[in-house]
Amino acid sequence: MDTALECSELGKRYGTTWALRDCSFGVPVGRIAALVGPNGAGKSTLLHLAVGLLRPDSGDVRVLGQVPYRNTSVLSEIGFVAQDTPLYRDFTAAELITMGGKLNKRWDAALARHRLAQLGLPPDKAVGKLSGGQRAQVALALALAKRPRLLLLDEPVASLDPLARREFLQALMGSVAESGATVVLSSHLLADLERMCDYLVVLHSSRVQLVGDVDDLVGQHRRLVGPRHDDNVGIPGVAEVIKASHTDRQSTLLARVDGPVDPLWTAHQVTLEDLILAYLADGGTQASHDAWGVPA
Amino acid sequence: MIWLTWRQHRRQTLVTLIGLGVLAAVLIPTGLAMRGDFTGGGLSQCLTGGTDQCMNQLRRFNDKWVNVGSAGVLMLFLPLLIGLFWGAPLVAREVEHGTHRLVWTQGISRGHWAAVKFGYAGLAALAFSVLYGLGVAWWLEPLNQTGNRTRFDPFFFDMQGIAPIGYTIFALALGIAAGTIFHRVLPSMAVALAGFVVVRVALAVLVRPGYETPAERTFPVIGGGAHDEVTADWVLDQGIRDASGKMIAPGAQAICPPGATGPDGATPCGADLGLTRGSYTWEQYQPADRFWTFQAIETGIFLVLAAALIVLAVRRIRRIA
Repeated sequence: MDTALECSELGKRYGTTWALRDCSFGVPVGRIAALVGPNGAGKSTLLHLAVGLLRPDSGDVRVLGQVPYRNTSVLSEIGFVAQDTPLYRDFTAAELITMGGKLNKRWDAALARHRLAQLGLPPDKAVGKLSGGQRAQVALALALAKRPRLLLLDEPVASLDPLARREFLQALMGSVAESGATVVLSSHLLADLERMCDYLVVLHSSRVQLVGDVDDLVGQHRRLVGPRHDDNVGIPGVAEVIKASHTDRQSTLLARVDGPVDPLWTAHQVTLEDLILAYLADGGTQASHDAWGVPA
Repeated sequence: MIWLTWRQHRRQTLVTLIGLGVLAAVLIPTGLAMRGDFTGGGLSQCLTGGTDQCMNQLRRFNDKWVNVGSAGVLMLFLPLLIGLFWGAPLVAREVEHGTHRLVWTQGISRGHWAAVKFGYAGLAALAFSVLYGLGVAWWLEPLNQTGNRTRFDPFFFDMQGIAPIGYTIFALALGIAAGTIFHRVLPSMAVALAGFVVVRVALAVLVRPGYETPAERTFPVIGGGAHDEVTADWVLDQGIRDASGKMIAPGAQAICPPGATGPDGATPCGADLGLTRGSYTWEQYQPADRFWTFQAIETGIFLVLAAALIVLAVRRIRRIA
């Protein structure tokens, strides 16, 4: 199986803080992968490493088998939409399409024009005067006009209203279905991803917590409800307890299972959202009473 | 890439051209009027020593035009404007708006991007500074000859000839480099402003007088060489020394006609100042004909500094994400 994006022990440090550490995973060709994590988890750092904006401090990242940093040949295979969809605000959409043609060897201007025409965007209005949703559509059209084999999107819908968000994701899904490109998009909005992604990477506190095919991951996990059980080990059929909550008499576990579970426990299917939240909660937060100067 | 650069900077280019037009509209009429007065007054014959009438003419000319020339000091700020409005935003605005992530992820390398952008801004700055430096040199030519404000005068040296080319390219490079470090337009402008002023003043005050070993000359106090020749030499230091060469009146100058006496009519001229027999006026100076050598050295220093800043900027750009 070919991988479109592959990281091995990838790390990036800002000063003494690691923004990303020991990151090893691959995204197979043709997948639509969600990169999920809270703000500051390292999602943008990971995407910037993948698109060659950053150079790794440890390990390496490969896109279609090549190192992306200072490598224009792999750059032309990547369509990238950065966070907040930056565009030259005094340019018109038509000028931005012209610009793409000047800066890329392979450039499908007709594709970009068709997309924007279909969405009813004006070609001769400065993009700074367009709505946020329209600007995001322009940015997506520019990324797609490169006819990329890997499309990287950094929180493309985070700042859009729900309607624009749905339109953007529909446009994205439509074009990906046509082109067959691999997609990695980061988001902290779980509901949007559930419908469209078939691959999942969960980042938390600079590390990868969970990677895999969405159906496999959902199939491997169960919500188990049973008698109070504090030590989280020794339940037949349970490989790992991700998250546990207890009442006086009863425990609820979100667990990875590897066989038939002890019939003492009732197993329920989990949703993708349950799963992601369980893994994100695992990171935990450290109290900062000292920094605030208040008693614990 | 050239298309993009032109599209991004066409408004700036236009504003710069308008600025040059305004400058020309001021310099050309006043320059022609100044030249009219200079030749009309027959001043060119007066420059190598002349009659009292000549001295009068020179004084009148200077009285009329020196203030105009001094207003030209405003032109010292033109290189700075290029640094602030062309240099500082070049990288900083891209990073501030996040558009570096758009343009650096297209199919060209950052090195290519930087070469074209810096090249365009550099050519614009070069064209601007050549026109302005040589234009001001033409404008000041009559005034520089009449002795009041020589070409070596600290302000007048700085705004004519080829030195403005060095200053302008340096200001541009400083603005660009500041942008690659601070990533925001306003702080980059502030740093470019402060850096430019500090480097310029430090070089002009501390380093420039020593570009070449200064020459020295002396005049005896009594019957000393009359200073009626108008020279454009740059006098760095002067004073009166006694016969043994000891400095007795730093910064002073004295000329006594032969046989002259002091105010009381009895003592020899200058005795009340402590001057003794054989005292002479001493001057340390840079001869006027070294002007273009000094211009070349000054320009060279600033171009080397600019090159170092551009190397720094390119290295920084590789690390911006």
